[in-house]
Amino acid sequence: MCAQPVTNTQEAKWQKVLYERQPFPDNYVDRRFLEELRKNIYARKYQYWAVVFESSVVIQQLCSVCVFVVIWWYMDEGLLAPHWLLGTGLASSLIGYVLFDLIDGGEGRKKSGRTRWADLKSALVFITFTYGFSPVLKTLTESVSTDTIYAMSVFMLLGHLIFFDYGANAAIVSSTLSLNMAIFASVCLASRLPRSLHAFIMVTFAIQIFALWPMLQKKLKACTPRSYVGVTLLFAFSALGGLLSISFVGATLFALLLISISCLCPFYLIRLQLFKENIHGPWDEAEIKEDLSRFLS
Amino acid sequence: MAYRGGDGPGQPLSATFPRVSPGGLSTFRTRTHNICMVSDFFYPNMGGVESHIYQLSQCLIERGHKVIIITHAYGTRKGVRYLTNGLKVYYLPLKVMYNQSTATTLFHSLPLLRYIFVRERVTIIHSHSSFSAMAHDALFHAKTMGLQTVFTDHSLFGFADVSSVLTNKLLTVSLCDTNHIICVSYTSKENTVLRAALNPEIVSVIPNAVDPTDFTPDPFRRHDSVITIVVVSRLVYRKGTDLLSGIIPELCQKYPNLNFLIGGEGPKRIILEEVRERYQLHDRKIRVRLLGALEHKDVRNVLVQGHIFLNTSLTEAFCMAIVEAASCGLQVVSTKVGGIPEVLPENLIILCEPSVKSLCEGLERAIFRLKSGALPAPENIHNVVKTFYTWRNVAERTEKVYDRVSLEAVLPMEKRLDRLISHCGPITGYIFALLAVLNFLFLIFLKWMTPDSVIDVAIDGTGPRGAWTHHQYSHNKRGGDNNEISKTR
Repeated sequence: MCAQPVTNTQEAKWQKVLYERQPFPDNYVDRRFLEELRKNIYARKYQYWAVVFESSVVIQQLCSVCVFVVIWWYMDEGLLAPHWLLGTGLASSLIGYVLFDLIDGGEGRKKSGRTRWADLKSALVFITFTYGFSPVLKTLTESVSTDTIYAMSVFMLLGHLIFFDYGANAAIVSSTLSLNMAIFASVCLASRLPRSLHAFIMVTFAIQIFALWPMLQKKLKACTPRSYVGVTLLFAFSALGGLLSISFVGATLFALLLISISCLCPFYLIRLQLFKENIHGPWDEAEIKEDLSRFLS
Repeated sequence: MAYRGGDGPGQPLSATFPRVSPGGLSTFRTRTHNICMVSDFFYPNMGGVESHIYQLSQCLIERGHKVIIITHAYGTRKGVRYLTNGLKVYYLPLKVMYNQSTATTLFHSLPLLRYIFVRERVTIIHSHSSFSAMAHDALFHAKTMGLQTVFTDHSLFGFADVSSVLTNKLLTVSLCDTNHIICVSYTSKENTVLRAALNPEIVSVIPNAVDPTDFTPDPFRRHDSVITIVVVSRLVYRKGTDLLSGIIPELCQKYPNLNFLIGGEGPKRIILEEVRERYQLHDRKIRVRLLGALEHKDVRNVLVQGHIFLNTSLTEAFCMAIVEAASCGLQVVSTKVGGIPEVLPENLIILCEPSVKSLCEGLERAIFRLKSGALPAPENIHNVVKTFYTWRNVAERTEKVYDRVSLEAVLPMEKRLDRLISHCGPITGYIFALLAVLNFLFLIFLKWMTPDSVIDVAIDGTGPRGAWTHHQYSHNKRGGDNNEISKTR
């Protein structure tokens, strides 16, 4: 019987099969036990500078939020004329729009099949509606206390940063939710500005910096990584400069945050990789590697 | 299908039975045990674990042991029920949380379980399935009460995602002071040893079995003008239904006289229907038939209609389905995952990588063999397979585990706490050591509330002195609605 050790154990060779009665006890542990165990087969080796480069997406997004808040503060204090912001915003949007097509030679446009006329129409519709509704936006949150508005904006901007699509393939990523949270925050903040024109310009600016700017960045990063690094650095310094003009302590903290994200975190990630112990073996659920949708489409 | 047993006598009769002290019991029976199977999964729920528990219990009863089963209430099925040969099943009124598994607080089930363990004079607790919260609860309580514990693991787990990290930690805690663990295949043993950080010496491999008399070939039921490929599985992602949806069009276009017969139900049924619709595999004569959910007794009738059995599972600890199919005389084509390569010898199975391409090649090989007449006759395959896995053999080997376990000492409280702390990591270890202490205090409180001596000894349905074998109650009490004796305590 299986559970009875037989004297000629040495002669019989243990097999990893269940259908044969073998002269070994049921709890027998062979030398081949766990021989199919593999460790870290899918572990990736990271290069420090590559990780630093990838971290720039986070930096960009942090700077966007920072720039947005700084601009709002200037508007709120009356130091920045709304017309000026509208002018610069429109000008930079136009430049960005042209760049967007220039970078990849119009390939992306051909692929999506979207005409310039359609772009112009959406832009016009958006601007008209925002302008028309800006008095409503202005008075929308009058009954809510300013502290609540600030707290809500902070949470919404944090949420925007958390759910933003940085390129990771995780369940938490939702670019729609992220954008919505940012726009919500901008509406909240805009309603605290002195006039409805301010509110209109603030919301338009929020669309530019939270919706359009990341699209351009993505394309820049894919097509011309060098210029992307330059743009990121420039953007980060301007955000820092803007913050510095408001608060020295805030700027220092923000600079530390940026440095730790772009330099320390990659270093830490690479160090922690050494401790990785990912176990694989025949018990793993098989992955379907082929694309099976071709059978259905 | 399984509860074809009659209705037995219940609690009131226990008073007529002489009370046996637990100590005297063990000296009286040197080689027989009072075994309590605990799992959330039991009939009327259907599945591998359920039939494993039932068949194993029946064979252990046949070998002279006393066996009872504890599970949770299924709808109106609650209280005590008797199955064939006086196998007593307690359907406990515990809340089901998810997927037929009960919620666990680690404590709430102690009063009920302790009462049953005491009144049934249980000596060995045998828990089944790592998905069952009740099984883990019972292990925890049994250790507190100083009973021997055995655990059977029926499933494989990965190590990569967060949910498996958590469940593996819980398994480590649950199994760190369990006397013996049984796995259904060598791959499953490796997996469990790694997951729960166990000493491999206390893990036995005892495969599942199938009842070969239930799965006999019937070559007259199949049409030899066409080739039929049978698939019987739940239509879910883990069973590889997506692969199947790629195989069907590929092969149906290549072989005009090839049919698919698919038994089983699940969320992925829709993609098979889409494939059938898209490739027009249902007009004129039906080439892909979806039978929907099958009862276990109908599986054989479906299997014998085919020539080739296809299993596309992505993970599997043992895979009873391929043994059942081979027992029906079919050529088996299967993915090479988990414990499947251990189950059947090479001449009875064609193993493939889990991809559409590889599975199609395997199936084409099987079709070629079938056409060239190289396949052995179904009757011959059945005769080979029926010797492989029998429940009697499983029971015999499980009995050896019980014998071994009954000689081992259960860790006393202080050693158990030491083991929890040293084995499960500093944080988890201390938390569960604390819980173990609380459980122990709760047990003392319960003992003070209802001392063991107050609890009636239950009537012995099975075992050497079992009432069932004496026949005095089993016949005259049959019928009526008194088969259900609710226990509220």
